[in-house]
Amino acid sequence: MNSEEMKNKLKAFFMSDLGVDGDVLQFDTALFGDEIGLDSVDSLEIISFVDSTFGVSMTGVAKENFQSIDTIAAYIEAHQA
Amino acid sequence: MTPDEKRCVVTGLGVICAVGNNVEETWKSALDSVSGIHKTTSVDTVNCYADLAAEVKCDTLDNLDAPEEKDRVSKLCIKAANEALSDAGLSNFEDDQRVSVVIGSCVGGVLSIEQYHQHGRDASEIAKMPIAAIASQVAETCGAGGIVTNVANACAAGTISIAVACDLIRAGKADVVIAGGADSFASVPYSGFLSLHALDENGCSPFNRCNGITLGEGAGIVIVESFAHAQKRSAKQYCEVLGSGVTSDANHITAPREDGVCLMEAINRAVKNSGIDKSDIGYVNAHGTGTGKNDNAEITAFKNFFGEDNANVSVSSTKVMTGHCLGAAGAIEAVFSIKALTTDTVLPTFPYTEEQSAALKEKVGKLDFVQNTARHKDLKCVLSNNVAFGGTNAAIVFSKVPGEVSAQSEKGKKIVVTGLGIVSPLGNSKNAYIEAVKAGKKPESGSVRSTISLDDYKELGIKMAFYRKLDNLGQLQTVSGMRALQDSAFQVNDDNAKDIGIIVGTSEGGLGATYDFEELIAEAGNAGGSAFKFPHTVYNAAGGYLSICSGIKGYGVTITTGPLSGLDSIGYSMNVIHDGQEKAMMATGTDENLPIITEFAEKLGVAANGAVAPFSGSEGFVVGDGSVSIMLEEDSYAKARGAKVYCQALGFGHGRKNVKFGKLAGSDEALDKAIADVLADAGISAGEIDAVCGFANGCKKIDDIEKGSLKRVFGEKLATMPLFEVKERTGEGRAGSAALAAAEAALLLSGELDGDDAYFVADDGSVVCKRVESANLKKILVLSYAAGGSYSAVVFGKEA
Repeated sequence: MNSEEMKNKLKAFFMSDLGVDGDVLQFDTALFGDEIGLDSVDSLEIISFVDSTFGVSMTGVAKENFQSIDTIAAYIEAHQA
Repeated sequence: MTPDEKRCVVTGLGVICAVGNNVEETWKSALDSVSGIHKTTSVDTVNCYADLAAEVKCDTLDNLDAPEEKDRVSKLCIKAANEALSDAGLSNFEDDQRVSVVIGSCVGGVLSIEQYHQHGRDASEIAKMPIAAIASQVAETCGAGGIVTNVANACAAGTISIAVACDLIRAGKADVVIAGGADSFASVPYSGFLSLHALDENGCSPFNRCNGITLGEGAGIVIVESFAHAQKRSAKQYCEVLGSGVTSDANHITAPREDGVCLMEAINRAVKNSGIDKSDIGYVNAHGTGTGKNDNAEITAFKNFFGEDNANVSVSSTKVMTGHCLGAAGAIEAVFSIKALTTDTVLPTFPYTEEQSAALKEKVGKLDFVQNTARHKDLKCVLSNNVAFGGTNAAIVFSKVPGEVSAQSEKGKKIVVTGLGIVSPLGNSKNAYIEAVKAGKKPESGSVRSTISLDDYKELGIKMAFYRKLDNLGQLQTVSGMRALQDSAFQVNDDNAKDIGIIVGTSEGGLGATYDFEELIAEAGNAGGSAFKFPHTVYNAAGGYLSICSGIKGYGVTITTGPLSGLDSIGYSMNVIHDGQEKAMMATGTDENLPIITEFAEKLGVAANGAVAPFSGSEGFVVGDGSVSIMLEEDSYAKARGAKVYCQALGFGHGRKNVKFGKLAGSDEALDKAIADVLADAGISAGEIDAVCGFANGCKKIDDIEKGSLKRVFGEKLATMPLFEVKERTGEGRAGSAALAAAEAALLLSGELDGDDAYFVADDGSVVCKRVESANLKKILVLSYAAGGSYSAVVFGKEA
């Protein structure tokens, strides 16, 4: 899976499972900012999705890696076997 | 001193939990520091990081009438209720209107939902699913014929039930209340708390390791009785129940506020309403779940509340013994608190090593956290508090002395309706409803539902960061509630956020969301639950979301009794205002029509094949939904802020004749009682009623009850009495329709609706429909019903 596909997969997950409106969600949009407003409950869902979909554990990973779709994808790419 | 007529005393106790199947066993375990937490044997733990639970071991749960008609949660509750009644020297009440049942629960008949989904979709499981079944089945067992309701505020439900019980007695609505809570351990809550990473794999360790909770199960029952009634029958009295406090965090759907300020406000209200000093509290049975967020917020609240006035009050959490029993927690802890008070004993949290004790001391300062062993302490008053998903905080005081309870001190406050928010299959605003009435719109099929759109959020200024979290029920409730606030021009701000509360009435609440969650984990396993979806399974999530969206921080309770919950929310809100607990209340009725809800109606044979009209003699009704929010305010408060007034809320009444939960047949006469009760409450005669907003939905069995009762109550006058039936337009939306019937009355009395189609029942029982102008209507009676044989009534009157 290339980087673009991975990001699109993440975006689709945010829309279907976390109720985020796709129109305002770009790959570099701040996920935990005022507009999208993700919180700790959502991060649990992200961790669970990333683990089951990409086989990468993000449990206990520093917050900056969750900033945007870009940073999550970068973390996955750096840690995929 | 509290006047005798406002005194509430405890005359009986009953409990079942992991450390005992009755009060004696449980209390002995508590004194011996026994924990009931073990490896679970009842749910699948494959791939799950925690496998502990505090389960009830009892092989006599089925020793009751018709066990096949009851979920485990009802069986637990009935067992505890029977013990409490026997302890109180009470037995069959034979439908006595002065005996009520108020039971709290979080997940209700969730095991029956699991059974339905996994084993053949059997219709006989359906009536066991809703929380509403619990209190109804307790009432049926002992013949309680008064107000029968359930509090569905998740983990604070047990405490709030006892608070509501006292409110009913002090309002003169009951002499005896069987109050408490019940929940059973099941895959849905287990998987849900796993998904939130909120379970401690080593067993909960409140105020100590604080790594998470361990789920338990059980039931606790407290017989609350008016002092006069207990005196008259020379009953044994354990203690007094003094004041209570219920508040909302308006912050987060699952997590408590870190600063604990709204919890502190609940404790403050409980102590203030009790008329005692904070130094009178000798022991606090804390919520103490074992999560860092809860325990730290509680420590902060205790330190800030008790301060130097009562710096070394004793505190402990008993969840290390019972596990977290969710909706039963507050009730079981009430039993612990009352036993502690009456035996002058403070209970421990355990185990603490010396090192852990030192660390705790560092954290809690002077507060006396009782560790490892129970000990003697002279006690005058004890406090028990609980917090819940949805941001609910609740606290209550049990006492050896009567205190000085401030409740209903000012009789006869004038209460007015100042705002309406209407979400229905006809549209999502009051104006959309009025337009639909004018256009004569009717349902086009046998199942209709409301749809919230992005335009609704836009108009109300609700951001995506908020609305993306809402499930369907939360969407309906948030939009109708925010519309009602907007309609009443009530701006919630820091000054008034605590002056206003919310009571949500719902028939099925989060039942649909719970079913969805069950579907998810049946497929993905208990390790595959969703942290995003789990909060929606609790019935009070919808009210919690409204509180967060609006900033309302006062009283916040969700009640569930069937369709009439949408009228009971109005009646109880009036009581909260009369009590002086709040100046303004948002009373709502909210129910949804997910595909599974229509499926249930079809399986039960009550869904019509197509559109049917009220009084059409059909076999079934149109399955609908809706959320209607009604702003009620103390008249002087409304006038002071220049609010527009729709009408006055004059009275609330209730009647019950016990029949099996899921049935209505044979309970007809209870509707007559409800009408007599509301007329007495409003201080008016039947002759003064100009119109009725009824509950007819097209299903003959239901419609005939309304027709028959109105004929008995109004006699010949019925032929000229207009009956407005809102379900002809929205279908049977349960609590949503009950509240809509009240909103229709408000619209007619205010003239915003200049008329509507009404039904007239002739002497021979035949029915005609014709338009009626609203100009001459002065007093309107609003009616609703609930399975199990309960009926509620409200009277609204024209503003002079």
